[in-house]
Amino acid sequence: MSKPKVGFFDFASCEGCQIELTNYGDAAFVELLNHIDIVEFREAMTETAEHLTIACIEGSFTREADRGRLENIRERSDIVIAYGACASTAGVNALKNHQKDFRKDVYGEDRNMPHLYSNDRAVPISEVIKVDYNVYGCPMDKYEFLDIVSHLVHGKEPVIPNHPVCIECKHNETICRYFEGDHCLGPVARAGCRAPCPADGIPCEACRGFVDNPNEEAMEKVLIKKGKLPEARAKHKSRIFTAFCRSDA
Amino acid sequence: MNKYFIKAQDFETFVTKLVEAKQVIGPVAKKSRFVFEKLKNSKELRLDYDVTVLPPKKEFFPTCQPIVKFEGDKFEGCVNVEEKILFGVHFYDIKALDMTDLLYNENHRDINYMAHREAATIVGSNVQNIAERAFFGTVGVHVKPKGHDAFLTKIDDGYLFETYTDKGEALVSFGTFTKAKKEHESNALDVNNRVMGKCPEVLDYVGYESVANKVRKAFNNTAFWEDCAKDCFSCGSCNIVCPTCYCFDVQDNWNVDQVSGTRTRKWDGCLTEDFAKISLGFGAQENFREKRGDRFRHRIMRKTTYLNAKLGGPACVGCGRCSMSCTSDIADPVNVINKIMEV
Amino acid sequence: MGCHCEENIFVPKEAKIVKAAQVTEREKHFTLKMADGAKFEYAPGQILEVSLMGYGEIPIGLASSPTSSNGTFDIVVRTVGRVSTAINRLEEGGTMLIRGPLGNGFPIDELKGHNVVVVAGGIGLCPTRSLIKYIMDERASFKEFTLLYGARNPEEQMFQDDLKLWRGSSDVCFHEIVDKGNDKWKGKVGVITNLFKEATVKPDSKVVICGPPIMFRFVIRELKKAGVKENNIFLDLERRMKCGVGKCGHCQINDKYVCIDGPVFNYTDLKQLEEAL
Repeated sequence: MSKPKVGFFDFASCEGCQIELTNYGDAAFVELLNHIDIVEFREAMTETAEHLTIACIEGSFTREADRGRLENIRERSDIVIAYGACASTAGVNALKNHQKDFRKDVYGEDRNMPHLYSNDRAVPISEVIKVDYNVYGCPMDKYEFLDIVSHLVHGKEPVIPNHPVCIECKHNETICRYFEGDHCLGPVARAGCRAPCPADGIPCEACRGFVDNPNEEAMEKVLIKKGKLPEARAKHKSRIFTAFCRSDA
Repeated sequence: MNKYFIKAQDFETFVTKLVEAKQVIGPVAKKSRFVFEKLKNSKELRLDYDVTVLPPKKEFFPTCQPIVKFEGDKFEGCVNVEEKILFGVHFYDIKALDMTDLLYNENHRDINYMAHREAATIVGSNVQNIAERAFFGTVGVHVKPKGHDAFLTKIDDGYLFETYTDKGEALVSFGTFTKAKKEHESNALDVNNRVMGKCPEVLDYVGYESVANKVRKAFNNTAFWEDCAKDCFSCGSCNIVCPTCYCFDVQDNWNVDQVSGTRTRKWDGCLTEDFAKISLGFGAQENFREKRGDRFRHRIMRKTTYLNAKLGGPACVGCGRCSMSCTSDIADPVNVINKIMEV
Repeated sequence: MGCHCEENIFVPKEAKIVKAAQVTEREKHFTLKMADGAKFEYAPGQILEVSLMGYGEIPIGLASSPTSSNGTFDIVVRTVGRVSTAINRLEEGGTMLIRGPLGNGFPIDELKGHNVVVVAGGIGLCPTRSLIKYIMDERASFKEFTLLYGARNPEEQMFQDDLKLWRGSSDVCFHEIVDKGNDKWKGKVGVITNLFKEATVKPDSKVVICGPPIMFRFVIRELKKAGVKENNIFLDLERRMKCGVGKCGHCQINDKYVCIDGPVFNYTDLKQLEEAL
């Protein structure tokens, strides 16, 4: 089969996922380059392509001015992958969505400068154009990305888990954060990362967003009862990465 | 077969010699809990453990197990057997292994499990500390542990070492054992009997058949099951840590060369949302256990009724792992069964 | 140490594609034979686990009858997910991997000497075709044979050659209906249960049903009205039979594994299982 033509694009994000991508540190990414042609990558090249097999989009949609660019990418791409938390769930960018006046909080006196203008809400790419696959996570998991591209190279729809992170902690025999007197969002977070954070003693922050049907009510209860978080904090806890996924978004 | 005694001061040398000569898997500390792991030395062995996070089944069927490897058009099974000694397995886990042995051996015999199982020597040990949610003293007590090769019981000044098979008997050459005296035997019997009455949790109703009947009859009490599962995350933790659960998912993946790859099976849980979901085409799907309550009920049924005829008792050994692993603390079979029996 | 030589139930065998035909927009009909030339023995209603390395495995009911297959066997694959999409890209001369036959097929011996009715909805015609073909080949062993077939629309009707044959045959009382017709369709339009108005289902008939999950309940209601006894009704079920050998748990209905206890069940047994219908 001919090599898929792949382009990389970024919107509102820290571009950390691109760094993660080039950060393999092993032969995996270089090996992947044998199977795909990277035809557009702003960070590394100036050319643009007429047609893309796969467009990989990083970052959230947060400026109306970006709509045209996104639509243009969709038009010339067979498959659109939103990669990283910002693109797939709006990630931390969505934190502004429920603020009264984020412009004032963030920019203070400069808040009315025209180049700082953005929408009131940050949304995932799928809210603007049709997204075929999401690679979740902040940053996205490079191995999952590799796996998803590998699937697409073979014309196979990627397998993206719809079970909580807990199952991966159990597979790893990681001691549950709650057992250590800590808290964790693992029970509502979408797995697929292989749960490295709890394995390192860090609570899961649900950077991959929620499973399809998260039990938010139970999560809040557990955060209070077992995680010993104050009620208000328990209520807002999952906003950090999943503000847009929450039922109150 | 035979009963031996080993003095407390000789025990460490015995374990050291075993570890030097064989691959020995035993309970070791991990943070505030315990896991079965390959022993590097005798000091790591913690026979005073209460319960391990995962059951010892993982030594025969790892949580993630390659079953077929392929390269281009070629493919082959990948059962690479290593001899292992599982050292220090509690009696409830021995019972559970015996159940999974039966289930993997029956109908279509699964050598991906059985080959590893048959290459293993299992040495049991008495429960020195009881897990905080254990209830092995009141569930399926008529089902006796079997299938293991030897059993170790800590008594006052040493250990009683009972061997049941040639594999168990072969271990005797690694230590300074003497023939056990009657008092060693009676002390050990006493130790193992007493622990049965010390569980922190108790099933109020011990006749497993009456439990099975009543639980089965509660099947259509949808409100009850929905209420039980109200706080369920569908995370499957209760399944994954269960020593008698044996379900799995199978996925294929390519290696980075995009030519070779592996068909892998991973432990799966019937509590997860997509476990019984199928695609019908035309974008339509059908989930045969769509609600949390449906899935919660299925697990309780599996543990208390569905497998009883095959296993001669409930598919639950009272280890308490599910109760400990459930963040919402709703998985505890003791609570569920006692509630059903009260009605 | 080293490779284990005992048979591994998860290692498939190669099957060569003798013939491949796109029968509808989504369904492809494959005729297969074992690549090593071995005779493939099976019974109508049994299933195969069909796979391609890298893509995964799916359960598919055999669509041919051993009575007329001449060493080959048929399956029909609907493009639904990852595996079926990849399989349906294969053409004649290609290779797919199979494990099986697995499961319990239709109770042929129980059907012999009786009036038989087959009710097939949509893709349910594929596994039941194995039985239909068997009956047509061994016609003298059965009494009256009635076939009711419902499809979504004429374009999705499968086995056009078979349909043509059955329409004109005196060996089978064939009734068909589609949910939605088109310009060319002269036949009946409506749900499959409408066929019970015209077809005669004798009370002593043995009935086999296969179709989408929703169909079973409605068909059973009609059969009861016709006086068919519950223990004369057999259902061919679809579940997520991932391993096909009664281990993985995905296809479980209460305490039954569809893959090894079924996929064909007697209604009286199934009725006891709350999760079945």
